[in-house]
Amino acid sequence: MTTATLTLDHGLRKGRRGTLGPSVFAFVLWACLALICAFLFFLLAVIVQKGIARFDLDLVTNQPSKIRPETAGVASALYGTLWVSALTAFIALPLGIAAAVYLEEYAQQNHWWNRMIELNIQNLAAVPTVIYGILVLAFVVRAPLSIGAVVLAGGIALALLILPVVIITTREALRAVPEEIRSGSLALGATLWQTTWRQVLPAAVPGIATGSILALSRAIGEAAPLILVGATTFVTFNPDGVLSRYTTLPVQIFNLVPQDRQEFRDLAYAAILLLILVLLAMNALAIWLRNRYQRRW
Amino acid sequence: MKEQTPVTRAEHTSVTPTDDKPTDEPAAAHVRLDAPSSTLRPVDGAPDGVIELRDLEVFYGDFRAVKDVTMGFGSKEITALIGPSGCGKSTVLRCLNRMNDLVPGARVQGRVAYHGVDIYEPEVDVIEVRRRIGMVFQKPNPFPKSIFDNVAYGPRVTGMKTDNMDEVVERALRGAALWDEVKDKLKQNAFGLSGGQQQRLCIARAIATSPEVILMDEPCSALDPIATAKIEDLMVELAATYTIIIVTHNMQQAARVSQRTGFFTAEADDMGHRTGRLVEFATTEHIFGNPTDSRTEAYITGRFG
Repeated sequence: MTTATLTLDHGLRKGRRGTLGPSVFAFVLWACLALICAFLFFLLAVIVQKGIARFDLDLVTNQPSKIRPETAGVASALYGTLWVSALTAFIALPLGIAAAVYLEEYAQQNHWWNRMIELNIQNLAAVPTVIYGILVLAFVVRAPLSIGAVVLAGGIALALLILPVVIITTREALRAVPEEIRSGSLALGATLWQTTWRQVLPAAVPGIATGSILALSRAIGEAAPLILVGATTFVTFNPDGVLSRYTTLPVQIFNLVPQDRQEFRDLAYAAILLLILVLLAMNALAIWLRNRYQRRW
Repeated sequence: MKEQTPVTRAEHTSVTPTDDKPTDEPAAAHVRLDAPSSTLRPVDGAPDGVIELRDLEVFYGDFRAVKDVTMGFGSKEITALIGPSGCGKSTVLRCLNRMNDLVPGARVQGRVAYHGVDIYEPEVDVIEVRRRIGMVFQKPNPFPKSIFDNVAYGPRVTGMKTDNMDEVVERALRGAALWDEVKDKLKQNAFGLSGGQQQRLCIARAIATSPEVILMDEPCSALDPIATAKIEDLMVELAATYTIIIVTHNMQQAARVSQRTGFFTAEADDMGHRTGRLVEFATTEHIFGNPTDSRTEAYITGRFG
């Protein structure tokens, strides 16, 4: 049996389809990416260059000072940030995870109120952060709750702010757990509660943790709602409880930048560098968690 | 996965079959099939019908997926449900342990009796139904846990009283012909097993709760021929202890392992809605050797479906 031989001229020669369009498109994509990276890199470079001078031990151990900016630190703001973000996590995570479990595992989609809740959560995620500040100022800081401008108020404001994000990312994580796991468990006679608690939630923990950390790192960078609920700009003591006055890093930076002496601005850059390092560390933890516990189903 | 509300179900409508053909056998008088066959198992008064279906209809919302299913499953027998895709055989299987409850809008009419008890009665404990009527799925679905924990899961969640969980797990794994392969790695994650081993682990998991019936929904469709052969051998072994009902696309498999076979097909009505129905239910020998209905014959000889 003989087979006919083909030459390239039987239509196999490449290059007939035109290479201009695809290469222009690829170039545009790369250019966009390069622009974003260049911008980020520039930002980081400026901050490191200007902030490194005051990035010393004084920064985290000393309290702010109005008279000696060259040795002043941001200790109260750092501890305030830790207090507020811990409280935010304590309030937002249980509420958000429970809401997501209800919507994903228990709610029946054919009921209009469940669809309405879903729609509203999507909308909440798009509400400007200042609004949450005003809300907490009006109802928590002042009457009826009147707890004042304390750590708890800041925690509540930021918890409300990240709640929609926690709910949405937790739902994503729950949805990523294959349906077969649920039917396998239910078919063995497990209840819906047992199935959720023993199979679905443990399988979704890496996704929930990743999403929660990213949501928290967003909360840590917020200044606007905290200024509204009265994070004071000048605090020279570390918070000692949830009813203590406080400030946080972004609020402190917001206060330092417009000062007229150069030493204050150097301190501001160092504080920005500190804040960025905290956020990078949290994001790195989230990425590590995701890779470490990623499942192949 | 939604809230486990029991499938809403209409009262037993006493629609007397009008298209019943008179037959000389009183026991089979109520059996509504298009082609009454002398080999049909009588449903009422069947000596050992573990599960009996009478005029079963399943709806998903307004869509009627299956109608007119009347059949009984004999104790310690393997019953195969065969038919083309979309004929409702898996739907029928999932009615038998109320897994259709999980589908929003699913509704069951007719009677699904387990030892005479209608499992869709409101007083019936669905957890207990699923413990007694186990299920193995199409795709092996071990939990992301150790082999041991996979098998121990059912007894644990159903609160089975066990003196020694190690023994329960060993017995179940031996029952599923998996013990020798995994006895040294019980603490390892079940995902490390091969597909065939995973499916046998799922069978071990199902028998660990000491069910009476095991439902298998195309248990070999994701497996290679060697793993399939092992599962088939296992099924025949298990039939000494358990009542097995298997849905399969593989007609040779039905012919090899089952004692009885039900052939389903889907027919479009005037509106164009396709509804599955049971065409013929008889001994496997009869279905594959000398089917009564021409549609059965067309299917098993490969002329249709």
